[in-house]
Amino acid sequence: MTEPSATVYVVDDEPDMLKALERLLGAAGFSVQTFPSPEQFLARHDDTAPGCIVLDLALPGLNGLELQHALQAQGSALPIVFLTGRGDIAASVRAMKLGAADFLTKPVDADELIAAVDAALERNRERRAERAEKHLVAIRLAALTAREREVFELIAQGRLNKQIAAECGTVEKTIKFHRANLMRKLGVRTVADLVRLAERAGSGKPRSD
Amino acid sequence: MHTNWIHLVWAMMAAASLTLGIVHLVVWFKQRTHHANLTFFALASSVAVFSGFELAMVGAQTPAEFALWLRWAHVPIAAIVVLIVVFVRLYFGVGRLWLAWAAVGSRLLAVLLNFTTGVNVNFQEVTGLQHSRFLGEVVSSPIGTLNAWQIVAQIANLLLVAFVVDASVTLWRLGDPVSRRRAAVVGGGILACVVLVIGFAVLILSGAVRAPTIMAPGFFIVVVAMGYELSWDLFVAQRTAAQLRYSEAELQSSGERFRAVVEAAPNAMLLVDVRGQVSLANAQAETLFGLSRDVLVGSTVERLVPERVRSSHEAYRRGFAAELRPRAMGFGRDTHALRRDGSEVPVEVFLTPMRGAEPSMILVSIIDISERRLNERRAATQRDEIAHLSRVAMLGELSGSLAHELNQPLAAILSNAQAAQRLLARDPPQIQAVTEILADIVASDRRAGAVIERLRSMLRKEDVKHALLDLNHVAEESLRLMHSDLLDRRVSVNTSFARNLPSVSGDRVQLQQVMLNLLINGCDAVAGRGREARLQVSSRVTERGSVAIAIADNGDGIAPQDIERIFEPFVTSKSHGIGLGLAICRSIIEAHGGRLWASNNASRGATMQFELPAEPAGSEHD
Repeated sequence: MTEPSATVYVVDDEPDMLKALERLLGAAGFSVQTFPSPEQFLARHDDTAPGCIVLDLALPGLNGLELQHALQAQGSALPIVFLTGRGDIAASVRAMKLGAADFLTKPVDADELIAAVDAALERNRERRAERAEKHLVAIRLAALTAREREVFELIAQGRLNKQIAAECGTVEKTIKFHRANLMRKLGVRTVADLVRLAERAGSGKPRSD
Repeated sequence: MHTNWIHLVWAMMAAASLTLGIVHLVVWFKQRTHHANLTFFALASSVAVFSGFELAMVGAQTPAEFALWLRWAHVPIAAIVVLIVVFVRLYFGVGRLWLAWAAVGSRLLAVLLNFTTGVNVNFQEVTGLQHSRFLGEVVSSPIGTLNAWQIVAQIANLLLVAFVVDASVTLWRLGDPVSRRRAAVVGGGILACVVLVIGFAVLILSGAVRAPTIMAPGFFIVVVAMGYELSWDLFVAQRTAAQLRYSEAELQSSGERFRAVVEAAPNAMLLVDVRGQVSLANAQAETLFGLSRDVLVGSTVERLVPERVRSSHEAYRRGFAAELRPRAMGFGRDTHALRRDGSEVPVEVFLTPMRGAEPSMILVSIIDISERRLNERRAATQRDEIAHLSRVAMLGELSGSLAHELNQPLAAILSNAQAAQRLLARDPPQIQAVTEILADIVASDRRAGAVIERLRSMLRKEDVKHALLDLNHVAEESLRLMHSDLLDRRVSVNTSFARNLPSVSGDRVQLQQVMLNLLINGCDAVAGRGREARLQVSSRVTERGSVAIAIADNGDGIAPQDIERIFEPFVTSKSHGIGLGLAICRSIIEAHGGRLWASNNASRGATMQFELPAEPAGSEHD
């Protein structure tokens, strides 16, 4: 049910709890790595590999929310399942707003935790796929010339060749030529495919330069 | 009418001697042991008799008459000599016995020779009388051949002089003023007169000087000297008697005053001798011991102390008798008096030795301190109750932290158990892993139990139990209880605990309460410091050998005028709490014989620290 390469990172300062979580997640079939502090996790984890984090909220030094901040600043794709000793509503709201995958209260039921970890890993997978695609699109987009890129943006905005030619100060024939070239470079055959790709690349809206 | 001056003067001397003698005879009658007075009476009488014979001698009309009177005059002379010797021996208390016997013996031999040879011991025969004028009267002096045996009388005289000189010198050498005066007046008087009288007589009798033999005035001077001395003694005796009467009265009234003071004293008082026997007791003592004065007086003090300390009390009493000085009595932890009904009263005892009394007496003042003890106990109970209340309030503040402490092992247990369920469901079941898990579950369960036990002991209202504690443990345990709170408040804690800290005696729960209170205070102090918030908890042994714990913060410090005020009740800078925390901490620490104080740090923030007396090394931790 999970990719064999996905790792669950567990961060908790209580050795007993760390060991128990390692065992439980291990028995549930996850590959688990444990860290007694956020600092050690930051220093040693592999951000590119698939996985998720099970993170204790109250930690000495850098606490759970601060680690979340730090990971976000790095653009990490690892979703976080928070564990907390008590129902700290303010902290959980903040964590969820920052995109936490889940917020569970200790003692946590195994099924609940496993479900949350599964969901987090699923989210990680999606995020990673999205990123991979985005990456691919970015590579393709990078192959376009400046003029082709300009034309691409305008097509994605739904302009007609005549309108684009007027905007660019050229003739329709030239635009058609660019259009054929860029569609070949991006590997799309219809305008609809092109628009979808532009959406995935995060463009399609007028550029704010 | 013609007045015979010689008759008159000689009669007067005889009468005066007799009068003086009779006075001392009367003294002797009253005090039969005063043999000197009796001797003096005899001596004075002899002088009076001799005066008569001498009067007869100077008035003699024929040589035969003169010789006869002189012969008989030797009897009172011998008596005078013997009595002088006896008087000196009795009155001086010194003098060589052999000299005394020699002087007396030779004089008696002279008397014997006086009656057996010649007309008397002085003359072989008196051939004529020479008449001369003395005091306007015609007096007779003898002319004749001297008796060869006269030498015995002269030797007797020399021996007498030797004896008196020797006795006087010995007495003089005793050195005290009374002895010296006696030696000078009596010894000197006797010597001067004896030498004068006898020497003069020898000169006349030997015919060297033609003059009447006049010896009675010399003897009379001796009598006066001795009488004066004896009267002095009478005077001294009388004065002494008067003083004695006065001192006796004084003593009696001061004794009465002493009794009155003892009786009026607000405390129980006993007068005890060094053997522990009671000789005086006041009404308060009767009340305190429940024993009547008749029973108290004459009994030993050991009867008044509980059986278990009797032997040590006796040893203490001996020690006190060996070194008498006023002091508060203390042996064992508490001093108790034993009442008649067997109950014990806590007391404080002061001992004052009475100077000059023989045998040494000790005034024992006993204060019943049961009331004071009761008040102390009440105050302690009240303090413990307030401490408990504030502990409960403080635990309320820490409840989140404590719940977390309990939650942590429970969470580990649940995860471990569910992991085990999964491992057992596998085919084949992973028994080895499950065994390890079960061991961890047990450990976590114990940990949870310990947290609950700590909580319960903090919440429970229990009697204060003193045990030997390691303050490092107390501090560590408190930090563990605070763990989650410290995380929550983002306060980092550094610890530096001294190794091999001596034990202190104290109540674990109360000391932990102090620790927690000081930690919470520290957290409040650094609340505004954000990521910099830091506490430093350290232990050390002070120069005085006590054990100290310090909690330093890097907050804003304490205003100098508040550094003592913060320990007053209801003084607080916090919006929460009632401001009893530090006041209670201080009362707890002081009840443990230690002190708690605050000071500002050199850099920033303040330090709260307390120290407790260390227990002697070698005592075991509980």
